[in-house]
Amino acid sequence: MEHLKSELDFLRGELNQMLDLVHKQLQKAEEVLLENNTELVKEIASTEKLVNAKELQIDSRCETILALFTPVAVDLRFVLSALKMNANLERIADIADGISRMVVHTKVRFDKVLLEKIEAKKAFDTAIEMFNCVAQAYQKEDTLIAREVFTKDKIVDAITNNGVSVAEEFAKMSPENLSQAIPLLSIMKMLERTGDHLKNIAEEIIFYAEAKVLKHGGKANE
Amino acid sequence: MTTIEIAGIKRRKFKDTMFKYIVYGLTFTCLAVVLIILFYIFQKGIPCLNWSLFSQMPKPVGESGGGVLNAMVGSLMVVSIAALIAIPLGIAVGIFLAEKRGKPAADRVSIAVDVLQGVPSIVVGMVVYVWVVKPLGIFSALSGSIALAIMMLPPVIKNTEETLVLIPNTLKEAALALGASDLKSTMKILLPTGIGGIFSGCMLGIARVAGEVAPLLFTAFGNPYLSFNILKPVNSLPMVIFNYGSSPYEDWHRIAWGGSVILVGFVIILNVIVKFFESRWKVQF
Amino acid sequence: MEGTILRTENLCASFGTNQILKNINIDIPEKKVTAFMGPSGCGKTTFLRCINRMHELNPEATVQGKIRLHYEDVYQMDAMTLRRKVGMVFQRPNPFPTMSIYENVIAGFTLNGLKLKKAEKDAIVEDALRKVALWDEVKDKLNNRATSLSGGQQQRLCLARTVAMKPEVILLDEPTSALDPLSTAKIEDLLYELKGNYTLVIVTHNMQQAARISDMTAFFYLGELLEFDDTKKVFTNPKNEKTQNYITGRFG
Repeated sequence: MEHLKSELDFLRGELNQMLDLVHKQLQKAEEVLLENNTELVKEIASTEKLVNAKELQIDSRCETILALFTPVAVDLRFVLSALKMNANLERIADIADGISRMVVHTKVRFDKVLLEKIEAKKAFDTAIEMFNCVAQAYQKEDTLIAREVFTKDKIVDAITNNGVSVAEEFAKMSPENLSQAIPLLSIMKMLERTGDHLKNIAEEIIFYAEAKVLKHGGKANE
Repeated sequence: MTTIEIAGIKRRKFKDTMFKYIVYGLTFTCLAVVLIILFYIFQKGIPCLNWSLFSQMPKPVGESGGGVLNAMVGSLMVVSIAALIAIPLGIAVGIFLAEKRGKPAADRVSIAVDVLQGVPSIVVGMVVYVWVVKPLGIFSALSGSIALAIMMLPPVIKNTEETLVLIPNTLKEAALALGASDLKSTMKILLPTGIGGIFSGCMLGIARVAGEVAPLLFTAFGNPYLSFNILKPVNSLPMVIFNYGSSPYEDWHRIAWGGSVILVGFVIILNVIVKFFESRWKVQF
Repeated sequence: MEGTILRTENLCASFGTNQILKNINIDIPEKKVTAFMGPSGCGKTTFLRCINRMHELNPEATVQGKIRLHYEDVYQMDAMTLRRKVGMVFQRPNPFPTMSIYENVIAGFTLNGLKLKKAEKDAIVEDALRKVALWDEVKDKLNNRATSLSGGQQQRLCLARTVAMKPEVILLDEPTSALDPLSTAKIEDLLYELKGNYTLVIVTHNMQQAARISDMTAFFYLGELLEFDDTKKVFTNPKNEKTQNYITGRFG
């Protein structure tokens, strides 16, 4: 079983690299939004290609392991959760790319006051904190850290829900403000989606480590 | 329904028990025959055993005492030389039969061995008489040995063959797969693995011919004196038993009984040795 | 093909009138694990036994076509020399029962009449036993009978006996079919470790085993080689429909 072990270790490493890549994408996207650092947009776009390649690599490795080694128990759970984590991470990277492109496409610079009022920084930071938790939980196989993600996700959800009225108010002040409010609102929506993906990843980590299904209230497993 | 079944079972159980007791009974009968024979020989023979039996030569009629020293020496000589001839030859043929099993040549040899086993010992003696004694012009221990060797061959061959055939083929293949030659894998792997069975075959062969008298009548002939020359006639225990046992003299009867005990004792010891080494050299695959 | 150690050209093998192998053409890569799988009676074991010419031990066996070991036709070589270069491990563990563990490992040398000094023998025995991860288990009882070992240990001993001869190719004929799962896993690990130094060719009934340990997989069916490709390819996307049916268990 040494062979399977080394294959699994390799997969573990690749997934770690994926986490790392996507983590950086998310941080760069924040910088693009908050500092309007358009230099980074190209970087994000080129890294996005790397992320996609990595996704395919991980998928194919999972396929190999499933086909050749028919893993069972914890090994099987790991490969299954790796597959799903992989898909979620790729989606997050897509979102980071989307946010950065949205910023570029928005001709005007986002108003500082609006950004503050809509709590864009807090939402972004919380999402990145969630990411940190997920990465840590994955590396240490620590489900307690993974569970922190769920409370943090509620914060992101609250901020984005609140965002609608903030944007509405801002738009009411001047019709030109609409061209800022609408893209920003969709960026906030994307952050909310990021939170959901991270929550999914956390659930996968818990599934892998504890064999507990938390998704959708976890009724299926009881 | 149930009652019918129970009745059937009762009948079957009864048959079963019956069969068991029949088998026990027949086995016991066999065993009893052997035990009675042994008991009779020992009862008659043991009182006749004394030191002079082993150390003295036969004495002429009328003189009391005397022994079978010359016959023991003669028997030992004839049988050991026979073993020296028959064992290598028998093992060689056994290997041939085991290796070539199923081939026409091996089938023919196998039938020949079976026929040889069935040839009456007196006929073997006569043939050797014609082949060896006549050309040499004298009865001799050597010609006796040749006759006994022919008698010994079948059990040695058969035992060697059976033993080698029972050794899994993969063992030989393992040796061949390492690049060993056919000869080496037979000599270094097969023979040592089958040594227990081959050895017991040889011992049983010896036990079989030790009591033969018929072939010796034509060959070793008999000799009232002690002789160590293999080209001269020698005496042998079975012959002593034959000659003395059928004589009218009480003294000679005693010697015949003593000789019988020695001969039976010899065979029993051989069998014990076989059993001992068989378990000792038992090879598990 | 680059790195090919064994190549067959139109190899056909039969027992009497019964043709077992039909026109097998295969290039077996060097220092890799190649697995032969297929249903019973598909000829995979016969093929294996053709490679080291054990096939011809059966008087009715005939072979046509060529097998080349490093471009040298094995049927032109001396069988004994060939078998020293191409070792074999059998289905059931078959250590020599009259020999000790030590003697079994060195048996290849003694049976070939190669005389070695005691120190050389010791070194070979230790090295071979270490390679098969048996050294620690038997180092204190090297003079015990080989048959006193467990089945899995015996099979590793047989592997050590083969490895000691430093062959170029090791043929394995269902080496774990008589072993329990734990011993099987140990042997598989060993094969995985050995493949850097030896070319391994393994016949197996166990598809998962072929999948786990081999780099290349060949699928035999009714005496024909239907598919030969990277193991990953064979198990994820086989070209031949019969292969697909076999590995998915839909055969019949």
